[in-house]
Amino acid sequence: MAPRREVAESCLEFLYIELVQSYERKDAECAEKGDGRASRAALESIGFQVGQQLAERYTIDRARFADHLEVIKFICKEFWSEIFRKQVDHLKTNRHRALFVLQDDRFRWLRHLSLPAEQTSNTEAVAKYLVFPCGLIKGALSSFGVNCEVTAEISEDARKPTQCSFEVRIK
Amino acid sequence: MIVCAAVVGPSYNPLHLQTFALDDDPLKYHYIVHCALDVIDERLSPPSPRSRGAGGNDPCLGYLYSTEDFKVYGYVSNTHVKFLLVLDDPETKDVRELFHRFHSAYIDAVSNPFQLPGHSITSRSFEARLRALASS
Repeated sequence: MAPRREVAESCLEFLYIELVQSYERKDAECAEKGDGRASRAALESIGFQVGQQLAERYTIDRARFADHLEVIKFICKEFWSEIFRKQVDHLKTNRHRALFVLQDDRFRWLRHLSLPAEQTSNTEAVAKYLVFPCGLIKGALSSFGVNCEVTAEISEDARKPTQCSFEVRIK
Repeated sequence: MIVCAAVVGPSYNPLHLQTFALDDDPLKYHYIVHCALDVIDERLSPPSPRSRGAGGNDPCLGYLYSTEDFKVYGYVSNTHVKFLLVLDDPETKDVRELFHRFHSAYIDAVSNPFQLPGHSITSRSFEARLRALASS
Protein backbone atom coordinates (compact mmCIF):
# COMPACT_ATOMS: atom_id res chain seq x y z
CA MET A 1 0.00 0.00 0.00
CA ALA A 2 1.23 3.46 -0.87
CA PRO A 3 2.32 5.65 2.06
CA ARG A 4 -0.23 8.19 3.20
CA ARG A 5 0.37 11.58 1.76
CA GLU A 6 0.09 14.48 4.13
CA VAL A 7 -0.35 18.22 3.95
CA ALA A 8 0.50 20.95 6.45
CA GLU A 9 -2.56 21.86 8.45
CA SER A 10 -1.91 25.57 8.14
CA CYS A 11 -2.13 25.23 4.35
CA LEU A 12 -5.47 23.55 4.65
CA GLU A 13 -6.75 26.24 7.01
CA PHE A 14 -5.61 29.08 4.79
CA LEU A 15 -7.14 27.40 1.79
CA TYR A 16 -10.37 26.88 3.64
CA ILE A 17 -10.62 30.46 4.89
CA GLU A 18 -9.82 31.77 1.44
CA LEU A 19 -12.41 29.47 -0.11
CA VAL A 20 -15.13 30.88 2.12
CA GLN A 21 -14.01 34.46 1.55
CA SER A 22 -13.70 34.16 -2.18
CA TYR A 23 -17.27 32.90 -2.38
CA GLU A 24 -18.36 35.72 -0.13
CA ARG A 25 -16.76 38.25 -2.46
CA LYS A 26 -18.51 36.63 -5.38
CA ASP A 27 -21.76 37.02 -3.48
CA ALA A 28 -21.13 40.71 -2.92
CA GLU A 29 -20.65 41.12 -6.68
CA CYS A 30 -23.82 39.22 -7.44
CA ALA A 31 -25.82 41.00 -4.77
CA GLU A 32 -26.68 43.78 -7.19
CA LYS A 33 -28.32 41.30 -9.50
CA GLY A 34 -30.37 40.03 -6.57
CA ASP A 35 -28.58 36.71 -6.28
CA GLY A 36 -26.64 37.19 -3.09
CA ARG A 37 -27.03 33.77 -1.50
CA ALA A 38 -25.50 31.63 -4.22
CA SER A 39 -22.27 31.09 -2.30
CA ARG A 40 -23.99 29.05 0.41
CA ALA A 41 -25.22 26.53 -2.10
CA ALA A 42 -21.86 26.45 -3.87
CA LEU A 43 -19.91 25.89 -0.67
CA GLU A 44 -22.31 23.24 0.47
CA SER A 45 -22.11 21.36 -2.79
CA ILE A 46 -18.30 21.42 -2.74
CA GLY A 47 -18.47 20.01 0.78
CA PHE A 48 -20.97 17.45 -0.37
CA GLN A 49 -18.68 16.12 -3.08
CA VAL A 50 -15.64 16.05 -0.79
CA GLY A 51 -17.71 14.24 1.83
CA GLN A 52 -18.71 11.60 -0.67
CA GLN A 53 -15.11 11.05 -1.74
CA LEU A 54 -13.80 10.83 1.82
CA ALA A 55 -16.62 8.51 2.84
CA GLU A 56 -15.53 6.07 0.16
CA ARG A 57 -11.89 6.34 1.16
CA TYR A 58 -12.28 6.02 4.92
CA THR A 59 -14.49 2.96 4.85
CA ILE A 60 -12.39 0.70 2.66
CA ASP A 61 -11.40 -1.61 5.51
CA ARG A 62 -14.73 -1.60 7.29
CA ALA A 63 -17.55 -4.06 7.40
CA ARG A 64 -20.75 -2.75 5.88
CA PHE A 65 -22.99 -0.67 8.15
CA ALA A 66 -26.03 -2.36 9.58
CA ASP A 67 -28.16 0.69 10.39
CA HIS A 68 -28.31 4.48 10.62
CA LEU A 69 -27.02 4.63 14.17
CA GLU A 70 -23.88 2.78 13.18
CA VAL A 71 -23.34 5.25 10.35
CA ILE A 72 -23.76 8.23 12.69
CA LYS A 73 -21.33 6.66 15.16
CA PHE A 74 -18.82 6.21 12.38
CA ILE A 75 -19.19 9.91 11.49
CA CYS A 76 -18.66 10.92 15.13
CA LYS A 77 -15.62 8.75 15.66
CA GLU A 78 -13.55 7.69 12.68
CA PHE A 79 -14.69 10.28 10.15
CA TRP A 80 -14.33 13.17 12.59
CA SER A 81 -10.90 12.05 13.80
CA GLU A 82 -9.62 11.70 10.25
CA ILE A 83 -10.62 15.25 9.37
CA PHE A 84 -10.50 17.14 12.67
CA ARG A 85 -8.05 14.95 14.65
CA LYS A 86 -10.56 14.51 17.45
CA GLN A 87 -13.89 12.86 18.01
CA VAL A 88 -17.23 14.58 18.38
CA ASP A 89 -17.65 15.54 22.04
CA HIS A 90 -21.34 14.89 22.52
CA LEU A 91 -23.88 13.03 20.48
CA LYS A 92 -27.53 13.58 21.28
CA THR A 93 -30.09 11.40 19.64
CA ASN A 94 -33.80 11.52 19.31
CA ARG A 95 -34.66 8.38 17.46
CA HIS A 96 -38.37 9.08 17.26
CA ARG A 97 -37.77 12.19 15.27
CA ALA A 98 -34.73 10.72 13.51
CA LEU A 99 -32.65 13.57 14.82
CA PHE A 100 -28.98 13.53 15.79
CA VAL A 101 -27.03 16.42 17.24
CA LEU A 102 -23.26 16.28 16.98
CA GLN A 103 -21.60 18.73 19.31
CA ASP A 104 -17.95 19.68 19.04
CA ASP A 105 -16.57 21.84 21.86
CA ARG A 106 -13.43 22.87 20.03
CA PHE A 107 -14.17 22.78 16.36
CA ARG A 108 -10.84 22.71 14.64
CA TRP A 109 -11.67 24.93 11.70
CA LEU A 110 -12.78 27.77 13.98
CA ARG A 111 -9.79 27.76 16.30
CA HIS A 112 -7.81 30.38 14.49
CA LEU A 113 -10.58 32.77 13.64
CA SER A 114 -10.82 35.92 15.72
CA LEU A 115 -13.54 38.49 15.51
CA PRO A 116 -13.04 42.17 14.79
CA ALA A 117 -13.10 44.14 18.03
CA GLU A 118 -16.36 45.94 17.38
CA GLN A 119 -18.26 42.70 16.87
CA THR A 120 -19.75 41.13 19.95
CA SER A 121 -21.82 38.29 18.59
CA ASN A 122 -19.91 35.63 16.76
CA THR A 123 -22.90 33.77 15.36
CA GLU A 124 -23.37 35.84 12.22
CA ALA A 125 -19.70 36.04 11.29
CA VAL A 126 -18.88 32.42 11.97
CA ALA A 127 -21.97 30.88 10.38
CA LYS A 128 -20.51 31.04 6.89
CA TYR A 129 -17.56 28.92 7.98
CA LEU A 130 -19.87 26.09 8.90
CA VAL A 131 -21.61 25.74 5.56
CA PHE A 132 -18.85 23.62 4.08
CA PRO A 133 -18.69 21.17 7.03
CA CYS A 134 -22.47 20.78 6.80
CA GLY A 135 -22.08 19.74 3.18
CA LEU A 136 -19.24 17.44 4.17
CA ILE A 137 -21.40 15.55 6.67
CA LYS A 138 -24.35 15.48 4.32
CA GLY A 139 -22.21 14.14 1.48
CA ALA A 140 -20.71 11.38 3.59
CA LEU A 141 -24.10 10.35 4.96
CA SER A 142 -25.75 10.39 1.57
CA SER A 143 -23.12 8.10 0.11
CA PHE A 144 -23.86 5.64 2.91
CA GLY A 145 -27.48 5.80 1.81
CA VAL A 146 -28.74 8.12 4.55
CA ASN A 147 -30.71 11.03 3.15
CA CYS A 148 -30.67 13.94 5.52
CA GLU A 149 -30.61 17.65 6.16
CA VAL A 150 -27.68 19.08 8.11
CA THR A 151 -27.69 22.46 9.81
CA ALA A 152 -25.07 24.03 12.05
CA GLU A 153 -25.39 26.10 15.16
CA ILE A 154 -22.78 28.09 17.01
CA SER A 155 -22.73 28.38 20.75
CA GLU A 156 -23.97 31.72 22.09
CA ASP A 157 -21.56 31.42 24.95
CA ALA A 158 -18.78 33.96 24.45
CA ARG A 159 -16.34 31.89 26.49
CA LYS A 160 -16.64 29.02 24.07
CA PRO A 161 -16.23 30.62 20.67
CA THR A 162 -15.29 27.39 18.94
CA GLN A 163 -18.18 25.34 20.22
CA CYS A 164 -20.68 24.38 17.60
CA SER A 165 -23.18 21.68 16.89
CA PHE A 166 -24.44 20.01 13.75
CA GLU A 167 -27.99 18.87 13.58
CA VAL A 168 -28.63 15.89 11.35
CA ARG A 169 -32.24 15.31 10.45
CA ILE A 170 -32.81 12.07 8.61
CA LYS A 171 -35.55 12.17 6.03
CA MET B 1 -7.03 -14.85 -14.87
CA ILE B 2 -9.41 -11.94 -14.66
CA VAL B 3 -11.27 -11.56 -17.94
CA CYS B 4 -13.57 -8.75 -16.95
CA ALA B 5 -13.89 -6.15 -14.18
CA ALA B 6 -17.00 -4.06 -13.62
CA VAL B 7 -18.17 -1.32 -11.27
CA VAL B 8 -21.87 -0.73 -10.71
CA GLY B 9 -23.19 2.28 -8.81
CA PRO B 10 -25.54 2.41 -5.80
CA SER B 11 -28.65 2.63 -7.94
CA TYR B 12 -27.45 -0.09 -10.31
CA ASN B 13 -26.08 2.39 -12.78
CA PRO B 14 -23.11 0.97 -14.71
CA LEU B 15 -19.98 2.97 -13.93
CA HIS B 16 -17.27 1.00 -15.63
CA LEU B 17 -16.76 -2.26 -17.49
CA GLN B 18 -13.45 -3.39 -18.81
CA THR B 19 -12.53 -6.63 -20.52
CA PHE B 20 -9.06 -8.10 -20.72
CA ALA B 21 -9.46 -10.87 -23.27
CA LEU B 22 -8.57 -9.57 -26.70
CA ASP B 23 -11.11 -11.10 -29.01
CA ASP B 24 -14.15 -11.02 -26.80
CA ASP B 25 -17.36 -9.13 -27.22
CA PRO B 26 -17.94 -6.80 -24.24
CA LEU B 27 -21.67 -7.35 -24.62
CA LYS B 28 -21.26 -10.89 -23.37
CA TYR B 29 -19.74 -9.59 -20.15
CA HIS B 30 -22.42 -6.97 -19.74
CA TYR B 31 -24.84 -9.86 -19.73
CA ILE B 32 -22.83 -11.87 -17.18
CA VAL B 33 -22.45 -8.86 -14.90
CA HIS B 34 -26.13 -8.09 -15.21
CA CYS B 35 -27.01 -11.59 -14.04
CA ALA B 36 -24.55 -11.31 -11.15
CA LEU B 37 -26.37 -8.22 -9.89
CA ASP B 38 -29.42 -10.34 -9.21
CA VAL B 39 -27.29 -12.62 -7.05
CA ILE B 40 -25.86 -9.62 -5.18
CA ASP B 41 -29.38 -8.31 -4.65
CA GLU B 42 -30.40 -11.61 -3.18
CA ARG B 43 -27.42 -11.71 -0.85
CA LEU B 44 -27.97 -8.18 0.39
CA SER B 45 -31.72 -8.20 0.80
CA PRO B 46 -32.09 -9.83 4.25
CA PRO B 47 -30.60 -7.64 6.99
CA SER B 48 -28.45 -10.48 8.27
CA PRO B 49 -27.82 -12.97 5.48
CA ARG B 50 -28.64 -16.46 6.58
CA SER B 51 -26.15 -19.21 7.15
CA ARG B 52 -23.12 -17.13 6.30
CA GLY B 53 -21.83 -16.98 9.84
CA ALA B 54 -20.09 -13.92 11.20
CA GLY B 55 -19.32 -12.50 7.78
CA GLY B 56 -22.82 -11.08 7.40
CA ASN B 57 -21.63 -7.55 6.79
CA ASP B 58 -18.42 -8.44 5.05
CA PRO B 59 -17.99 -6.20 1.99
CA CYS B 60 -16.50 -9.13 0.10
CA LEU B 61 -19.36 -11.32 -1.07
CA GLY B 62 -17.02 -13.80 -2.69
CA TYR B 63 -18.24 -16.30 -5.22
CA LEU B 64 -21.57 -15.36 -6.77
CA TYR B 65 -22.30 -17.76 -9.61
CA SER B 66 -20.69 -19.40 -12.58
CA THR B 67 -21.38 -19.70 -16.26
CA GLU B 68 -19.98 -22.44 -18.47
CA ASP B 69 -16.58 -20.79 -18.76
CA PHE B 70 -16.39 -18.25 -15.96
CA LYS B 71 -16.81 -17.68 -12.28
CA VAL B 72 -18.16 -14.37 -11.03
CA TYR B 73 -17.10 -12.79 -7.74
CA GLY B 74 -18.61 -9.77 -6.02
CA TYR B 75 -17.80 -7.08 -3.50
CA VAL B 76 -20.02 -4.32 -2.12
CA SER B 77 -18.58 -1.21 -0.51
CA ASN B 78 -20.13 0.75 2.33
CA THR B 79 -21.33 3.27 -0.19
CA HIS B 80 -23.33 0.57 -2.02
CA VAL B 81 -20.99 0.49 -5.00
CA LYS B 82 -20.76 -3.01 -6.43
CA PHE B 83 -17.53 -4.43 -7.77
CA LEU B 84 -17.53 -7.54 -9.93
CA LEU B 85 -14.74 -9.68 -11.27
CA VAL B 86 -15.20 -12.38 -13.89
CA LEU B 87 -12.49 -15.04 -13.68
CA ASP B 88 -11.78 -17.95 -15.95
CA ASP B 89 -9.65 -19.94 -13.51
CA PRO B 90 -10.88 -23.18 -12.13
CA GLU B 91 -8.97 -22.57 -8.89
CA THR B 92 -9.78 -19.58 -6.74
CA LYS B 93 -7.17 -16.98 -6.04
CA ASP B 94 -7.30 -14.61 -3.11
CA VAL B 95 -10.22 -12.56 -4.40
CA ARG B 96 -10.32 -10.47 -1.23
CA GLU B 97 -6.92 -9.06 -2.01
CA LEU B 98 -7.91 -8.45 -5.63
CA PHE B 99 -11.06 -6.61 -4.60
CA HIS B 100 -9.15 -4.50 -2.13
CA ARG B 101 -6.86 -3.30 -4.89
CA PHE B 102 -9.81 -2.85 -7.22
CA HIS B 103 -11.61 -0.74 -4.61
CA SER B 104 -8.48 1.37 -3.95
CA ALA B 105 -8.18 2.09 -7.66
CA TYR B 106 -11.83 3.10 -7.76
CA ILE B 107 -11.41 5.42 -4.76
CA ASP B 108 -8.52 7.18 -6.42
CA ALA B 109 -10.51 7.49 -9.64
CA VAL B 110 -13.56 9.05 -7.98
CA SER B 111 -11.43 11.38 -5.89
CA ASN B 112 -10.57 13.18 -9.08
CA PRO B 113 -12.50 16.46 -8.93
CA PHE B 114 -13.23 16.23 -12.64
CA GLN B 115 -14.92 12.90 -12.19
CA LEU B 116 -18.62 13.67 -11.91
CA PRO B 117 -20.27 11.56 -9.21
CA GLY B 118 -22.56 8.91 -10.67
CA HIS B 119 -21.10 9.18 -14.17
CA SER B 120 -19.19 6.42 -15.87
CA ILE B 121 -15.46 6.36 -15.24
CA THR B 122 -13.30 6.94 -18.28
CA SER B 123 -10.00 7.59 -16.54
CA ARG B 124 -6.96 6.21 -18.31
CA SER B 125 -5.03 5.68 -15.09
CA PHE B 126 -7.95 3.74 -13.63
CA GLU B 127 -7.97 1.51 -16.71
CA ALA B 128 -4.22 1.04 -16.45
CA ARG B 129 -4.50 0.02 -12.81
CA LEU B 130 -7.17 -2.52 -13.64
CA ARG B 131 -5.00 -3.90 -16.44
CA ALA B 132 -2.17 -4.27 -13.93
CA LEU B 133 -4.57 -6.02 -11.58
CA ALA B 134 -5.67 -8.39 -14.32
CA SER B 135 -2.14 -9.30 -15.34
CA SER B 136 -0.87 -9.79 -11.79
